[in-house]
Amino acid sequence: MASERFSPFRPAGRVRTFRRSGRDMSDTQFALAVAVPVLIFLILVVIYPLGYAVWMSFQRIVLFGGYHTVFIGLKNFADALDDGEFWWSAWVTVRFTTETVALTMLIGLGLALLLNRPMRGGGLVRTLVFLPWCLPLFAAGLMFAHVARGQTGLGTSIAYALGIPVSVDLMTSALVIEVLAVGAAWTMAPLVAFFLLANLETIPKRLYDLAALDQLSGLETFKFVTLPPLRYTLFVFTSIVTVLTMKLFDFIFVMTGGGPGQSTATLTYLLYKVSFRNLNLGYGAALSLYLLFLIIGATLLLYLAWGRRESRR
Amino acid sequence: MRRNRFLVLLVVPALLWSLTPIYWFCRMAFLTPLEIRRFPWPLIPHEANLAAFYNIFGFDYALPNGTSPASGQAEQIIRGLINSVAVSIVVTMITLVIVLPLAYMFARTSFRLKNSLLFAILLGTALPPISTLIPFYAMYLRLGLVGTLTGLVIVNLTVTVPLVTWMLIGYFRNLPPIERLARIDGYGHLAAFVGLVLPQARSGVAVAAVITFLFAWNEYTYALMLVNGSTANTLPTAISGFLFMYPEPSNLAASVIITIVPPALVAYFLQRHVGDMSLVDAVR
Repeated sequence: MASERFSPFRPAGRVRTFRRSGRDMSDTQFALAVAVPVLIFLILVVIYPLGYAVWMSFQRIVLFGGYHTVFIGLKNFADALDDGEFWWSAWVTVRFTTETVALTMLIGLGLALLLNRPMRGGGLVRTLVFLPWCLPLFAAGLMFAHVARGQTGLGTSIAYALGIPVSVDLMTSALVIEVLAVGAAWTMAPLVAFFLLANLETIPKRLYDLAALDQLSGLETFKFVTLPPLRYTLFVFTSIVTVLTMKLFDFIFVMTGGGPGQSTATLTYLLYKVSFRNLNLGYGAALSLYLLFLIIGATLLLYLAWGRRESRR
Repeated sequence: MRRNRFLVLLVVPALLWSLTPIYWFCRMAFLTPLEIRRFPWPLIPHEANLAAFYNIFGFDYALPNGTSPASGQAEQIIRGLINSVAVSIVVTMITLVIVLPLAYMFARTSFRLKNSLLFAILLGTALPPISTLIPFYAMYLRLGLVGTLTGLVIVNLTVTVPLVTWMLIGYFRNLPPIERLARIDGYGHLAAFVGLVLPQARSGVAVAAVITFLFAWNEYTYALMLVNGSTANTLPTAISGFLFMYPEPSNLAASVIITIVPPALVAYFLQRHVGDMSLVDAVR
């Protein structure tokens, strides 16, 4: 279309003819100028570890009796498919992730809507609500373990204070994955809440006045005024929280240590066990690639089912 | 008045939800060794016993019934505190400089391959640290970055840059596109971005800064592998030294309190910028 090339540095206003296509050109160039260096940096730093992991996954790595590696093709990958522990961990990961993501998004949205209201001492309240994200994940895991465990738990102390001498232990219950999910949502909800809060404040107050004039109910105002500008961010954060939850390790390691038994052994935990305790590095690498596929698959699914629609909006 | 009371009914549960686990754990810092040996532990410490705070910084503390000895971790904790502050600030600066134009570009311009490019960037964060630890260590050994702050900054950037880019895209999409007008008036992309978009986007920038700071501040797995025990030790790794010394839960709790304070201050000062959006209303 464009008969001449436009420099991105030339002010667009002076270009009389083909202004439209000229802008597009320089838009793309601007995009490339911004994105390419970042991509190169990421590729340089990420591709080597990834390549190394792929290489390891094709080997049997023997550490003792003289370090050596044996090429065994896809055997590690095939072994995993026969491994009951792997399937169990995959199931735990899916269950844990689904619950954590749902809880995190709901609580995050709720907190954002609450913090968006003007109130006295609002700055302090916001900071306090944000505190759970200010902790290293292992510290958050420690805290939750501390609260949930029978020996030191909140439930036990309250029961004793009320004069009922029972030990309330949430960590041995059948719902230990749910306890873990609540803990993970506790740490991540502030992250979601704060970005949603920033988004809420891009909504012009005028729209709320108009909604009041039209006598919309609270729910209708939420649906037609508040929600539309949040939808894309909600999608993005659902993806991000999904990725973060599937990668979560230190929190689980400290809080439950995969237990009791294998009941909270997510894929990250299994990976740790295989690679660092059993020192089966090749198999561990194969497992980590399966985990990577799972993460990519989940985000891709989210994008196809939801994000594609939102980004066209 | 009724509205205010209604709001309190919502704020109190939110605060309880956020603070109870923190209170429950941090309370240990103030318990005396005697109280910790009892079962169950009291809901509220009977006296504010500050021994643990002295101990973690390497001082003995005299209790009525004996002394509470200084912890051997003091050097690690102090150095970790300094390193963590330095690394987090540097990572935040670099991340913001890279990420703000990147997210804005993705939000505003459309071109072929945009979605693929976005996905490629997200992939950078999809690698779980636990599975790239060994390769990362091997790479860092070769580059001589093991046990250095530079190495830590680079690792942190691989996490923060993709994540924060993704987070900001949705935000930039919501801003009114006044820079289009600026572009028609002859401003360049960069000038329009710095002069017009950024001042409008203060709350987004503030939130992004807090989030980045905290990602760097809390990074543990890589730090444990790459810098633990060296002079580039960070606070989370220093604290985790107390993790398996269960007879001393007070020290652990006290050091966790120390860890919360700097990010809480950062969050408090930056959240003020969230909420001042008068400009947006004026323009729309």
